[in-house]
Amino acid sequence: MISYSAKILTGQPLRLAITVAGISLCIVLMLFLLAAYHGVADGSVDYIRKNRSDLWVLSSNAWNILRGSSILLTADAARIEGINGVKSVSSVLFLLTGIRKDGQQATVYLAGFDPEADLGGPPDIVQGRTVNGDDEIVLDRDFARKFNLSLGESVRVRDTLLEIVGISDGTNALVIQYAFVTLRRAQQLIGYPGMATCFLVTTEPGANIRAISEGIKKKVSGVEVYDHETFLKNNIRELQVGFLPFIYTVAAIGVVVLTAILSLLLSVNILERRKDFAVFKTLGSPRGFVSGMVISQSALISLAGCIAAITLYFPLVNFIERVTPEISTRTSIWQMSAVVAVVLAMSVVSSLISMQRLRGIYALEAFS
Amino acid sequence: MRSAADPCSYVVLKNVSKTFLDGDQKVHAVRDACLVASPGELIVLLGPSGSGKTTLLTLIAGLLSPTSGSLSLFGQSLTSYSNGDLQSMRAKRIGFIFQNFLLIDSIPVVENVAMVLRFSGRGRSDALARARELLDQFGIGYLARKLPSALSQGEKQRVAVARAIANNPELIIADEPTASLETNQGFDIIRLLHDYARQERRCVIVATHDLRIADLADRVLRVVDGRVRVQCPQDQAKEVYPGRPVA
Repeated sequence: MISYSAKILTGQPLRLAITVAGISLCIVLMLFLLAAYHGVADGSVDYIRKNRSDLWVLSSNAWNILRGSSILLTADAARIEGINGVKSVSSVLFLLTGIRKDGQQATVYLAGFDPEADLGGPPDIVQGRTVNGDDEIVLDRDFARKFNLSLGESVRVRDTLLEIVGISDGTNALVIQYAFVTLRRAQQLIGYPGMATCFLVTTEPGANIRAISEGIKKKVSGVEVYDHETFLKNNIRELQVGFLPFIYTVAAIGVVVLTAILSLLLSVNILERRKDFAVFKTLGSPRGFVSGMVISQSALISLAGCIAAITLYFPLVNFIERVTPEISTRTSIWQMSAVVAVVLAMSVVSSLISMQRLRGIYALEAFS
Repeated sequence: MRSAADPCSYVVLKNVSKTFLDGDQKVHAVRDACLVASPGELIVLLGPSGSGKTTLLTLIAGLLSPTSGSLSLFGQSLTSYSNGDLQSMRAKRIGFIFQNFLLIDSIPVVENVAMVLRFSGRGRSDALARARELLDQFGIGYLARKLPSALSQGEKQRVAVARAIANNPELIIADEPTASLETNQGFDIIRLLHDYARQERRCVIVATHDLRIADLADRVLRVVDGRVRVQCPQDQAKEVYPGRPVA
């Protein structure tokens, strides 16, 4: 049956090639969306995931740093430090700001942190070092690549020139990239020296986290305290709410297009070979043979599409990342397996749709 | 017409009628047909287009059920066969030759022949070996790997016969097998079928409007307006088309 199906398909090589190309592009689209989502998801929350703080303190109206506005006074940090079990408190200020260089401008999500506390800075430095002084900046790797910026060069933020001393990884959130300066510089840029977005709190080993959280809320009014895991989940959820519907919608369109292409080809094949199917039925083909041929054709095309897509995918992604470095992807075997599973499921659906045509083919047609 | 059915008869039709609905109109494709087909004979159903020959063949093949009358295949009433039984019977006990042969164009000749063997339950390698053997017997072993589209009409004809007899079926049903052939090729195919019927003690039923092949038939049945009206010897075949010579 499979050899008949393969021969029927290869009997029309151009049509087969166009169909496999269409299906493989749909698969590439799905793979790319998944990989881009994971790239963004990791890039957006890696900063939080790799942070060593035990507690995050924000204004009570904000539960994440991706889409929340929190305004705190750095003076309150000293009050938290006095709580039993607290080891250290570090203020971090986030602001969206423009960066200029040689007539180019771009926006970054600037994180001002205390270099001495070594908390709230870049999660991974892949080149150079972290910031030590107020005239220094660390840029995201993809951002630096996109704007062709390298260590030792200077960028302008407002009227201040900052030297690039480091390049970080895991700090690309697709629509925005992180950059890092000292807390003092960030406060100076915003114009309010005593302001922070959040406090990062580390605790003594064995300290009672819940009691410390309650203590912080008693000492500083209008704040909410999150343990590390909860805060990470909050940010992931925020990302999913904002980004996943878009991914799902485009991926669903890809799946529908794939199913439509496959169903169309199978239906055309059935209609063109209607007489063959009638002959099979007359000659006493076993139950399921004719529908099995449709399913096997569908599976063969899907499989060819998957192989073509996987062959095409990595060079294509490398090319896209080279042309648009801010698009950062993370591809895993799990994602590929999931996409292949979806494609195979859709190939079964396409077969079932196309098989409706078989009902209208009668053995008697072999005699007409 | 033979009235008493030999218990060994492959096909027994008693007053079989088949009516189709064409809108509100009833079309009587076959009316009160009686027929007994036994091993070792080649029967020709002779009649013009639209006379009901093909409907009769499809009834005999179990592809249609009669509207009235009774039809027995291989000693068993058609109504007693399940769909699965009918499928299995067509695969194992009936061979088919279609008008224009209807070989499957996308697969090689050898697989066209092997296909029916596979349908009857043989393994792939066994089926292919038997198919090659048959093609050799018919002197067309060299065509095994060719696609049917590359074959001449005469070559297609031999492949079609090889496919029909691959399972050594008791009954062969042939629908206008000489329609697209020259006279000699037409005679060749009927001669092959005749030999098969005689040598293997099988039954062959051929529907045709081709008077030329009547000479080779054991029996010629005249089909007019759905009625199997006359069981005529070969020399009476010309009655079907008065004024036309019998080849």
